[in-house]
Amino acid sequence: MPKRRRAALLPSNIALLQNLIRRDPGSYKEEFLVQYRHYAAQKEILGTNPSGFHDTEAFLEQIGFIAQVCTCYPNETKEYPEDLADLLKTHHSVLPVELREKIVQSLVLLRNRGIISSERLIQVIFPLLTSTNSKSFRKDIYTTLVRILKNANRNTKTPKLNRTVQTLLFTLLESTDGPAAAPDGLWAAKLTRELWRRSIWDDPRTVEIMKQAALHGNTKVAVAGVSFFLGVDRERERAERKKRGLVDDDESSSGASSDDEKDDKPQISGIKHRMGINKKTGKRARKLEAAMRAVKKKEKGASLPTQLNFSAIHLLHDPQGFAERLFSQTLSRSSGNKFTLEQRIQILNLVSRLIGVHKLSVLGLYSYLLKYLTPKQRNVTQFMAATAQASHDLVPPDVLSPVIRKIADEFVSDGVAAEVAAAGLNTIREILTRNPLAIEADLLQDLTAYKGSKSKSVMMAARSLIGLYRDIAPDMLSRKDRGKIASMEMSAAAAAGEVKKLQFGVENVVQGIPGLELLEKWRKEQGLDKDDEGAVPKDADDDDDAWEVDVSDSEESDSGWIDVESEVEYNVSDEEDGDDLNPDAAEELSDDDDDDDDDDSDKEEDVEDNQPNKRVRTEDAMQTLMATKILTPADFQKLDELRTKAGLDKILHGGKAASVAKHEDTVDAASLLGPKTGKAGKEERLAAVMEGRQDRQFGSKKSKKDSQPHSTTNKEKARKKNFIMMIHKRDVQGKNKKSLRDKQKVLRAHIERQKNPKRKR
Amino acid sequence: MSKITVAGVRGSVKELLDYSENTKKRNFLETVELQIGLKNYDTQRDKRFSGTVKLPQVPRPNMTICVFGDAHDVDRAKHIGVDAMSVDDLKKLNKNKKLIKKLAKKYNAFIASEVLIKQVPRLLGPQLSKAGKFPTPVSHADDLYGKITEVKSTIKFQLKKVLCLAVAVGNVGMDEDQLVTQIMIASNFLVSLLKKHWQNVGSLVIKSSMGPSFRIY
Repeated sequence: MPKRRRAALLPSNIALLQNLIRRDPGSYKEEFLVQYRHYAAQKEILGTNPSGFHDTEAFLEQIGFIAQVCTCYPNETKEYPEDLADLLKTHHSVLPVELREKIVQSLVLLRNRGIISSERLIQVIFPLLTSTNSKSFRKDIYTTLVRILKNANRNTKTPKLNRTVQTLLFTLLESTDGPAAAPDGLWAAKLTRELWRRSIWDDPRTVEIMKQAALHGNTKVAVAGVSFFLGVDRERERAERKKRGLVDDDESSSGASSDDEKDDKPQISGIKHRMGINKKTGKRARKLEAAMRAVKKKEKGASLPTQLNFSAIHLLHDPQGFAERLFSQTLSRSSGNKFTLEQRIQILNLVSRLIGVHKLSVLGLYSYLLKYLTPKQRNVTQFMAATAQASHDLVPPDVLSPVIRKIADEFVSDGVAAEVAAAGLNTIREILTRNPLAIEADLLQDLTAYKGSKSKSVMMAARSLIGLYRDIAPDMLSRKDRGKIASMEMSAAAAAGEVKKLQFGVENVVQGIPGLELLEKWRKEQGLDKDDEGAVPKDADDDDDAWEVDVSDSEESDSGWIDVESEVEYNVSDEEDGDDLNPDAAEELSDDDDDDDDDDSDKEEDVEDNQPNKRVRTEDAMQTLMATKILTPADFQKLDELRTKAGLDKILHGGKAASVAKHEDTVDAASLLGPKTGKAGKEERLAAVMEGRQDRQFGSKKSKKDSQPHSTTNKEKARKKNFIMMIHKRDVQGKNKKSLRDKQKVLRAHIERQKNPKRKR
Repeated sequence: MSKITVAGVRGSVKELLDYSENTKKRNFLETVELQIGLKNYDTQRDKRFSGTVKLPQVPRPNMTICVFGDAHDVDRAKHIGVDAMSVDDLKKLNKNKKLIKKLAKKYNAFIASEVLIKQVPRLLGPQLSKAGKFPTPVSHADDLYGKITEVKSTIKFQLKKVLCLAVAVGNVGMDEDQLVTQIMIASNFLVSLLKKHWQNVGSLVIKSSMGPSFRIY
């Protein structure tokens, strides 16, 4: 085609030339070189007088063109990437906006083509982030950086690249340190936060960057660092949920994948349906099989071990040093009042979280807090929350008790308002759940006397304090407050000669499996331990079914079926039952009634005779049951059940509650005020109503569809169309030309419809 | 492996013992370790767990213990032949971080008398609890020797920054039955701590200090 070739020779028709070069690089080399020389000349001009450069349009085109075809002539364009980088580095402040953008784009393209490495690209554009004055350019670079890192870490993490970038961020933070420095470090904090939020970076090094930021001399940077630690985990969780859910605003690629997932299920049901109707052929069967396989594979992928999502606070390298420095640099008096009260509260919140989570000892904090714990202090609930968060069982009680005393004096007295007293009591309770030794019995009994308060919130707060000490140290309560169960336990313990007292340094963690003796007792009653006399029961672990307990099922089902299942399997000799007796069948075979009776009698006996020698029994159970049998999922389920029946979870503070580390919890400042009493305002009521409506099942499909964001439907378009455009259409004209009878008919039908919209026409 | 059986554990223990006693005997008492890999564990939603359990046998007889005590307890400790430090000794450390770290490194566990334990955080700072070696209290009425054995035979499960953990459950000097018992108690206890029990367990592996590892679950 000679004509087209001639057109390609025209220096202006770059798009065509690009197309041709793609097809046959060898024969268009000359043309390319012409273009390249042109580009080089232009670049020279630009280099000498950047501000007076006018021929931007053509230059733009050339840059793009060379970037596109540069893979075809690697030798000729060896210097091209470096040229671009130089241009950007030296003239980025004077270059026209489009040109700047185009250069960055081309560099990204070169990286995508594998001509320059990601590291090089980041090295080129990263310095511009802080050196440029243009807001939009900065934003561009920022998004580009995020995108590069995201793509690099898509399938597997690329530690090398991450490390380079992290080092860059580190140096950025370090070099700009100082109170007067421009907040360039803010970009480092922002970038890190974004990458953490997207779970692209989730390693300790990232956390170290933010630690550096939090200790930064510049207030803004420091606050950014602090708020990262406080809020980013929730942010990340939300992002994850979003990614997994239906809405995906992130990017096209992951959006596509989620679309795939959505499509899978209907696809399979569709194929199955068609299989039922159409002729059954081998091809269709294979199709179905393939689809099933694909779905299964996807499901398997979904249930793969979740990636490690430790919160940033947990990953800190030296929490003690961090907390100490944060406290001394920002909070203590010597640092001056660089921060506003809100910022100080935020920092305080972080310090207290650190102390709580890692059980640090920053003893200066408690005396610092004393100053702020008065009802008149602004935002006092947040200070109170921080106080509660900062207490844990390794804080010496003599440090904490002044704090408690102060709160009690200032907040909990007859002269103060009800909500102040409630806040005080709730705070004290929160502190004491974490460190029960920090109060003397006298003060505790004084406080619990508020259980008779007329204000509901105060009464509830005092009661919760009583409830707490019933669990952990009933002997500190006055006799009336101990309650039946706790005092029974106490007298039993006294009879057995082992009075349990709270002790400093004894961690409140689970010891042994609480309630195991119940399980053993139950097993004995069921006659399951007959063969336990031998060192190791032979069939104790041949119980296949006991390993396949459907958890979702068990939550709904009553006590019946597990008993039954194991009954069956133990009564029948072990070899035969495994293959064909499934639990469901077994369930039908038996009757539930006698099981329930068993359990009831069980419970009564527990209450009566279990108390005195509980300890001994527990030990026994540990030794025999734990040592000889591997507890199966079914056993654990039964154990949970028995425990709740015996009320053990409440009685024993070593129940589930203790295995969860309380000291890691955050304290919500608003919750310290206790439940709100009195009539709610209109806004609150409305909010409550809306909350209740949130996941309602009923309602029309259409309204749900309409409430979701969607593109304009054809119907909407038709309705909104300009009438003048429609006036000559048959749809409209026809109406005018209808006979009277037809018009009447239509009108009648319309009236009918209006009256009774549900009836079909 | 879909499930764990006593027979399977026994077999693995046999092999393990066979390796470290016959194939390649070492010049020291090898410890047997239980290594646990967790799965489906959301570290944010399912709080980090911790728990202790007392095993029937002492897993590591060579564990070093130091007693922080008043005069009475120091005497008792000396009598048993355990290292002891008085308050003055602790004060001599002068809150020096390096010295305290050294102390924490030197011993596997600490015991402190009841009267003293409240001062420990002040005297020694956070170093001990950071190393997970905060002392266990002992009162004058308690049998110190018994307490020491109790501390020695108690194992602690605590999740740190990674989703795997390891505890010493025994040594190759024990016989097969003892080892199996120790392993079973440890694994049963661990599983009871987890929220979804066996569904949270990715793998259980036993391994002697120098020998190969044997997967039991």
